[in-house]
Amino acid sequence: MKKFILSSLVVVAVVALVSCQGHSEQENGSGAPVTSYQGVDTVPMLIMQIQKCARLYTAEYHVHKIVTHDDVLRLKGSILQRSFNIPLPLGDRKIAIPIDAKLKAYIDLSGFSEKNIERHGEKITVTLPDPQVVMTSSKIDQENIKQYVALARAHFSDREMTNYEQQGRAAIIESIPQLGILETAQANTAKVLVPMLTEMGFKEENIIIAFRKQYNTGDMIQLLKMED
Amino acid sequence: MKEFMKTLNLLRMGLLLFVAALLIVAIFWLRSLSKDNHIDFGTDDQIDVTPTQIQSIKAIGEWEFLAVSTEEMVDTIRKGFLSNDELVRIYYGTARLGVNMHQVEPGWIRTSGDTVVMTLPKIGLLDKDFIDEARTKSFYESGKWKPADREALYRKAYARMVKHCMTKENIRTAELNAQRQMENMMRSMGFNHIAITFKK
Repeated sequence: MKKFILSSLVVVAVVALVSCQGHSEQENGSGAPVTSYQGVDTVPMLIMQIQKCARLYTAEYHVHKIVTHDDVLRLKGSILQRSFNIPLPLGDRKIAIPIDAKLKAYIDLSGFSEKNIERHGEKITVTLPDPQVVMTSSKIDQENIKQYVALARAHFSDREMTNYEQQGRAAIIESIPQLGILETAQANTAKVLVPMLTEMGFKEENIIIAFRKQYNTGDMIQLLKMED
Repeated sequence: MKEFMKTLNLLRMGLLLFVAALLIVAIFWLRSLSKDNHIDFGTDDQIDVTPTQIQSIKAIGEWEFLAVSTEEMVDTIRKGFLSNDELVRIYYGTARLGVNMHQVEPGWIRTSGDTVVMTLPKIGLLDKDFIDEARTKSFYESGKWKPADREALYRKAYARMVKHCMTKENIRTAELNAQRQMENMMRSMGFNHIAITFKK
């Protein structure tokens, strides 16, 4: 009995060891063992996400930003609680990356219902959801990237450049509240919906396109859509 | 004399003890001061603060019914004598499918009682610029690459994204969603009979 328990424990231990190594053997239909390995996927998966929506884009802003970075090699440290930060000669690198981005404001009409419509005889009032802003595209002006690299330093790597570009993108998104895009979006929404309603037989003077409220810079932060 | 020698010895002992205590205090003080000693070479990874300029503002009327978010990994290889150089990047983009309301023709929407007939423009890619290049991730780089090489990679990623996103199935899904959304909107306005067609 003791022998049986001991041999069972050995078998369990061997199985556990084998499975921990991410290696398993299976038998296929012909009886031949099929070996499969569980490796770590180092290549990110190519993902495609499809989303049904009903967004009416009404305002488009083209913005431009030159991302600059002054990369000075410094000797930093602290000795006897005295900090120092000394720029080293021949250790300077500079880069300027021009970025063009497209920002669009939209109204999400996917939740549109009778609650958004108010009719009094000939008059119609359409109350729209809050406009939102999204960065729909960005383009790096590769040809006009300028860089200066001192003799003692290595060139900017692709990883470093993409890091600066990502920071530039974040800076553009941060600056959106100051651009006044929501006011333009509100005005332009009327330019799209009023002709549609007039085609449907409503007189222009009887159409009111309303929003929940007038938006300020504080609201903008909540209405920004990030696509990360 | 004996008494004097005894006092002298005591004084010597006291002085010795004082000096020893002073030394211990000095050692601890120096140790505490040099606790955080460090020297290293460093750079700052943060970009400088620069303004964001508005180049143009445009009124648009793009009705999006399907958003296809995609990422594409593209690479380029340069054959060398001893070794090859390689650059691999991952691009991100969202292709937006829908109708451009600036393309509607006069009489595109007709009503009669509780019936509405709509003829919408053809479903298409709303904006040709849909890659968010500033979001690009550098995956692998060996060798030195020029801006023209990165531009070529961008075009390669763009072509692949268009191929993957602008499929018949996606266009059909966008059409069906457009019909559903428009019907919902028209019903909210009090129309019971809705007919929607798309320009071919």
